[in-house]
Amino acid sequence: MAEDLVLDTAIRNWVLVPLSVVMVLIGVLRYFVSKLMRSPQTLDAKIVREGQLIIRARNLRAAGGFIPVKSFRARRFYYTNEENGLLHVPKGQAQNPQAQMFSDPNMAMDMMKKNLSMIVPQSLTFAWVNFFFSGFVAAKLPFPLTPTFRSMLQNGIDLSTVDVSYVSSRSWYFLNLFGLRGLFTLILGEENAMDDTQRMMQMGGFGADPSKNLSAEKDGLDIFQHEWTISKMEKRAEDVLRKLVK
Amino acid sequence: MATAVEEAQLNQLEIQVDNGGGGAWEYLCLVRKLKARRSDKVLKHGLFILNNPRARSKLGEEEFTLYEQVAFAAMDCRRNDIAKDCIGALFKKFPGSIRVGRLEGMLYEAKGAWSEAEKVYTRLLADSPLDQVILKRKVAMAKAQGNSAAAAEYLNKYLETFMADHDAWRELAELYISIQMYKQAAFCYEELILCQPACPLYHLAYADVLYTMGGLENLQAAKKYYSSTINLTGGKNTRALYGICLCSVAINQLTKGRNKDEKDISDLQSLAAEGLLRDYKERAPKKLSLVTTTLRNIKMVS
Repeated sequence: MAEDLVLDTAIRNWVLVPLSVVMVLIGVLRYFVSKLMRSPQTLDAKIVREGQLIIRARNLRAAGGFIPVKSFRARRFYYTNEENGLLHVPKGQAQNPQAQMFSDPNMAMDMMKKNLSMIVPQSLTFAWVNFFFSGFVAAKLPFPLTPTFRSMLQNGIDLSTVDVSYVSSRSWYFLNLFGLRGLFTLILGEENAMDDTQRMMQMGGFGADPSKNLSAEKDGLDIFQHEWTISKMEKRAEDVLRKLVK
Repeated sequence: MATAVEEAQLNQLEIQVDNGGGGAWEYLCLVRKLKARRSDKVLKHGLFILNNPRARSKLGEEEFTLYEQVAFAAMDCRRNDIAKDCIGALFKKFPGSIRVGRLEGMLYEAKGAWSEAEKVYTRLLADSPLDQVILKRKVAMAKAQGNSAAAAEYLNKYLETFMADHDAWRELAELYISIQMYKQAAFCYEELILCQPACPLYHLAYADVLYTMGGLENLQAAKKYYSSTINLTGGKNTRALYGICLCSVAINQLTKGRNKDEKDISDLQSLAAEGLLRDYKERAPKKLSLVTTTLRNIKMVS
């Protein structure tokens, strides 16, 4: 094992601590900036309607047996007929979300704002760290690690002989970037702390197709067998009353 | 809906506050949380806090929530002057807010200035056409003016978008009943039954509407729904028992003379009549003779 490296206390005072503090401050600042830039969510009548329609169709499927056959058929026709049924999505009209996004300038604007508040400060801080603190060891972990962690902890140092428990400054920046979530929950409250990793996930899984839901619900209604449960109720009510009278 | 525990807690707190035991703010918060309508108390205690600068400043930002609550209570108690002051304070703090705009519209409503209220709501709707509260206010306004048909029309328009709002469906059903459009009312009750199939009240109301519409098919269906109400309530619902009796009578009258062989052989109606008599014997013995004669007149008991 190589000789222990002695880390200057000045590194702690001028690199390690300031880096963390700056990261925290930037996180808080970004939270407030994104809060300022967030435009109020405007509801789209069509989307609201579709959501409510699905609830209603689901109710019909779940409790269809409780209404008379005639009423059930009328409703099913209303929902699923091929001409203008509410659940019927004409072929070709089903928009894919990507196209929808570009056709709606508001949406694109929102995305851009989100991106701005995320990417700009990140690239700036990364550049800052790279410029001032690149290429030296900033901290030492109090426990040994296997060499596989080298790429994670010693980013920016190309020495294979340095013990893995030493952390390079650039890696310290990454550790802070992804590891400060707990602290943000403490500072900004449970709901507000948005982790970068989470944000990236959100970007990835963007937009589910609502027309798929509609047609799934339509298929469900089409194969539903109506059975009027109420017709058996007279018999059962008789039993209930007989028990009660006796 | 408040649970029994919460209700008890609220009552206890109310007594405490009424007797000067403090905790007025906690009381008001609880009223707000449970959506209880105790406007007179809210007005009294809320106003006390608002008129007391020290107590008011202690609330901080919550002060404006209180202003809103007191404004509602004041309108409920016809103290429009107080409501106006509250809304004025809110306007100063949040100019252009929709929530305050709603209050303003409601104040006009409370004064009976319908056209002005209408103007306010129209203006607000231009900004946010999907505001559920305002759309419902318009329905309420039409209803308050006694124009049930217009109210039903507004409500229909509202339900076109918010079609899973079962409270609105219930309101629409009642509106239709009040203007005697039973077919439409029946549709609304069907919708409600779909939404909450285990709620006996909807079954009962649906049966009532079917019975009112008349016709053999409807009467038979009504009887079935009365039966299901009995099922769901364990035979405790007096109205459903009466419904069974009346439906049976009406069905018998309609089928009298023809197809004798298909006569209803079930003894549901006699059981229902018996259940009724038993119920009255227990709970209102004074009226027992009256019920007995009535039932005897329609030949339900001998």
